[in-house]
Amino acid sequence: MLEPVIGLEIHIEMKTKSKMFSSAPVNYGDETNTNVTVYDLGFPGVLPTVNKGAVINAIRVCHALHMEIDPVLRFDRKNYFYSDLPKGYQITQYYKPIGRNGYLTFNTSTGEHKIEIERLHIEEDTAKQLHSYDCTLIDYNRCGTPLIEIVSKPQIHSSEEAMKYIDEIRSIVSFLDVSDGKMEEGSLRCDVNISIHEVGSEKLGTKVEIKNLNSIMNVQKVLDYEFERQSKCLETGEPIIQETRRFDETSRTTQAMRNKTDAVDYKYYPEANIIPISLDQAFIDDAIKTSNELASSKLKRYLQCGLSEYDANILISDKDLSNYFDNIVKNGVSYKLSANWLIGDVSAALNKFDIPISQFPLTPAQIAEIISLIEKGEINNKQGREIFAKILENNTLSISELASEFNKGMISSSDDLLKIIEEVLDENEQSIIDYKAGRDKALGYLMGQVMKKTGGKVNPKDTNSLLLEELKRR
Amino acid sequence: MDYIHLTISELHEAYVAKKVTPLEVVKAVFEEIGDDPDNAFEYLCKDEAISQAEKLKEPQKDNLFWGIPYVLKDNFSTKDIPTCASSNILDGYVPVYSATVYEKLLNSDAILIGKATLDELAMGGSGTSGHKGKTYNPYDPTLEHMIGGSSCGSAACCARGLVPFAIGSDTGDSVRKPASFGGLVGFKPTWGRISRYGLFPFAPSLDHVAYFTRSVKDAASLLTLLAGPDKNDATSSTREVKDYASIIDGNIKGYKIAVIDEILDSMTDKEVVDRFNETLEVLRSLGASVHHVHMDLDLLKAIYPTYNIISCAEATSNNANLDGIKFGLREKGKTYEEIMTNTRTTGFSQLIKRRFVIGGYSLLRENQEDLFIGAQRCRHLIVDKFNEILENYDVIYLPASPSCASKFNDKSDVLSAEYLICDNYLAYANFGGYPSLTLPIGFKGNLPYGGNFTSAIFTEEKVLNISLALENKLGYYNLYAKGEKK
Amino acid sequence: MKEVNIDVLKNVANSLMFDMSEDEYRLLEGEFNTIIKQMELIHNIKGVNEISPMTFPYEVTTSTLREDEPSDVISTEDALKNAKDVIENQIRIPRVLK
Repeated sequence: MLEPVIGLEIHIEMKTKSKMFSSAPVNYGDETNTNVTVYDLGFPGVLPTVNKGAVINAIRVCHALHMEIDPVLRFDRKNYFYSDLPKGYQITQYYKPIGRNGYLTFNTSTGEHKIEIERLHIEEDTAKQLHSYDCTLIDYNRCGTPLIEIVSKPQIHSSEEAMKYIDEIRSIVSFLDVSDGKMEEGSLRCDVNISIHEVGSEKLGTKVEIKNLNSIMNVQKVLDYEFERQSKCLETGEPIIQETRRFDETSRTTQAMRNKTDAVDYKYYPEANIIPISLDQAFIDDAIKTSNELASSKLKRYLQCGLSEYDANILISDKDLSNYFDNIVKNGVSYKLSANWLIGDVSAALNKFDIPISQFPLTPAQIAEIISLIEKGEINNKQGREIFAKILENNTLSISELASEFNKGMISSSDDLLKIIEEVLDENEQSIIDYKAGRDKALGYLMGQVMKKTGGKVNPKDTNSLLLEELKRR
Repeated sequence: MDYIHLTISELHEAYVAKKVTPLEVVKAVFEEIGDDPDNAFEYLCKDEAISQAEKLKEPQKDNLFWGIPYVLKDNFSTKDIPTCASSNILDGYVPVYSATVYEKLLNSDAILIGKATLDELAMGGSGTSGHKGKTYNPYDPTLEHMIGGSSCGSAACCARGLVPFAIGSDTGDSVRKPASFGGLVGFKPTWGRISRYGLFPFAPSLDHVAYFTRSVKDAASLLTLLAGPDKNDATSSTREVKDYASIIDGNIKGYKIAVIDEILDSMTDKEVVDRFNETLEVLRSLGASVHHVHMDLDLLKAIYPTYNIISCAEATSNNANLDGIKFGLREKGKTYEEIMTNTRTTGFSQLIKRRFVIGGYSLLRENQEDLFIGAQRCRHLIVDKFNEILENYDVIYLPASPSCASKFNDKSDVLSAEYLICDNYLAYANFGGYPSLTLPIGFKGNLPYGGNFTSAIFTEEKVLNISLALENKLGYYNLYAKGEKK
Repeated sequence: MKEVNIDVLKNVANSLMFDMSEDEYRLLEGEFNTIIKQMELIHNIKGVNEISPMTFPYEVTTSTLREDEPSDVISTEDALKNAKDVIENQIRIPRVLK
């Protein structure tokens, strides 16, 4: 039986404030050629300076991927001519990547996988080109944006594994706030290489490379198509050529690229304009210590605090959602109730208004306030929802004031309440007998009777405890 | 009174004593430049200089550089002032930012007179390969002798006495060799001392900001002004910058001077060698001891090829930004590749292109170990050897050039198998990043030649101090050419 | 090491995006004879193959990194004023075939 042997190279654009080697701001979607310094256009005499924030990011991702971190940062030049490369070279880490020998574990339908990661290095992005029918326009805003490239060993054996691997990397960089990790927006780009061989065979087949895939679905399509194509080649005896192929979205096939003569020689050599940077252990430790919590760690915490696996997985599927959740429970309210609210009412509202959680008008503290009132029994669930709806309409209202509205006309004196409870008990002798016989339903019935008599104007928690006391006495 | 042929400190005193104003000096300088007899300028900043000088009314006693005219080699980025590095490929390029060195001088109210010619992109040693052709030696009225390069225009301006100092760059010997041919102090401090931000790169691992003055004290003062860390240059050093002019006194009692015999022996001009030996006696008489040390001849012969491979290789990459897209020359083409190829084919001279091919070939995957990395290994070996000498001796002292300026047709930049140690050895100071200073020690006929002191990294005060001692004793202070061109 | 001949030199020149005249290539081929001989001399120097390649003039490291704060942005006008063909605040080149 044949299986694919897949290696992935993932490029991730960091969302630092400034660029990798220049102090130009990193801002997507700004007017063309506004986020540039002289460095980014490659004017003669410019020199690179290394962005501390980008280095901290790279350290954090290295740590999340269990990599060895090189305590001395070194950079190299990759030399080639292209219209989007203003200096005629790209500064990268060819000889000494910041991270080496890591791994990533995850589950798929076939079980647990551990994929080894060969290297992680830092580099700078190229300019963005806008192609129209008769010309190409160059915008240097993207030029110099910090990138990290993560290179796996060829240990992936299905498109499902590949998709899951990418998704895990996406989750890591997103939870660490290193990147948006959005393939559709180009902040996460993927090159794949795939060969095929007999399962169990040590021998590797001829490798084919497909570059710049822009969605996880396309990765799947490409890998499935290539596996089929290469398998057919083996069957028919047609040779598999080591080449770079292009994915055509319309036909959902891959095609050989126009023959780019013999492989480009990038003439890598060490960058003399950046002296080696020694990262002391305290700096590395601090970068790791102050980094955000990963999804995997949050998942553990959520399960420990009583969330169902289903709810916990929904929360960690989105960094902003899980951060919102963490900011609710930070106020001391229950994990379970918070998850119910977030996945229930809040998500419904997000759907209704078609906005992401980051734009949700209510703060986590407000949601926590509602939950807290429910927990204390000052309002019931239904009232909580009403308050939520009102606040959503008019965020200037006060939750505590709304709650006290509900409590107007409430029977607040325990003497009055006791009187009513006694009345109810006197009227329902049979229920007392049932309760004493261990039928819990009877308690609910009695509670219902109290509510009915008072028009719901009592605190359910207080009523419940008073009722229990009184039942004990009888 | 003639105020334009003064040193920096002399002109400063004249300003402070209100004997002359910057405006008068600047006007006199432009008059003296006339029609640029040495072909030393790419661009004259006449309007800019005069309007700057007009604003300088009250002399600043504590600012030595107030109102002092100077020139910059045209490979320093100057905002709003054309900069082409004497290459057609940068035709029309007007930088939008300024080199750190220029900023510092501007902030000190020094006055930029013009941008000086160079060998194209600083890749040459004869002062002949710039797009404006040869730059002449002001000491030679017959126009037959070179001033040397690549900082030819800067050297010529300073040697003619137009300005008391001129900024250049030194990758192999591009300031220290022309200083020898121009009777000047030519100083290249330690790699990392002076920010390279805004210096058009030739080979960054060897490139240094360097400069010409007509006195050792001026060289010391200029170092204090220009040195120091720069946020824009990650290789600039944070080591303490001293007030060099005030700490040097010319007392060299106990200095141990190393003379490398194999280099001296490679020099065949007896008149120059004899004069050099006389200066050794002078130094001895001042209390220094002279020691003849030895180096492997093969290692010395390796300096030039090592330099050639490393500098050409780095240059291919550093000039890859000159592609016709963003600035400078743009030739026509149906594709971006055609634009780049046509622009680079017409924009670079043949000599530059040959050097690029040498560099590109040396970096190819299958050649890199043998050529580029081989040269980098050899560089290491050479530096280790020189470090060993500099650990045991205060300075290395040798003639800066085998003779006075040679004639234009004696030498070409075509690589010859007959390379000479003596003509290329100065690059060792670029390999090791050492402070290295050339100063005049004699004349052959009407043409000057120099000696060179080099010391361990970050010991600038040593070369400056011993140079001051020799300058005092020889009296070669504030030399400039007085002759008219024929 | 790759053999030096005119075709190889042409390829190197073309990969660096320029061309030269036939005479220049022949001249260069001659120069390479010298260079290769010189490099052979270098490789015969005792100890040269054991020592590490040197990138920086002296051993030095830094721990200073640039703080991640935007600064020194230039105007769009400055960014583009040296370019020969600008439209809609971008540099225009012939259509690049992907």
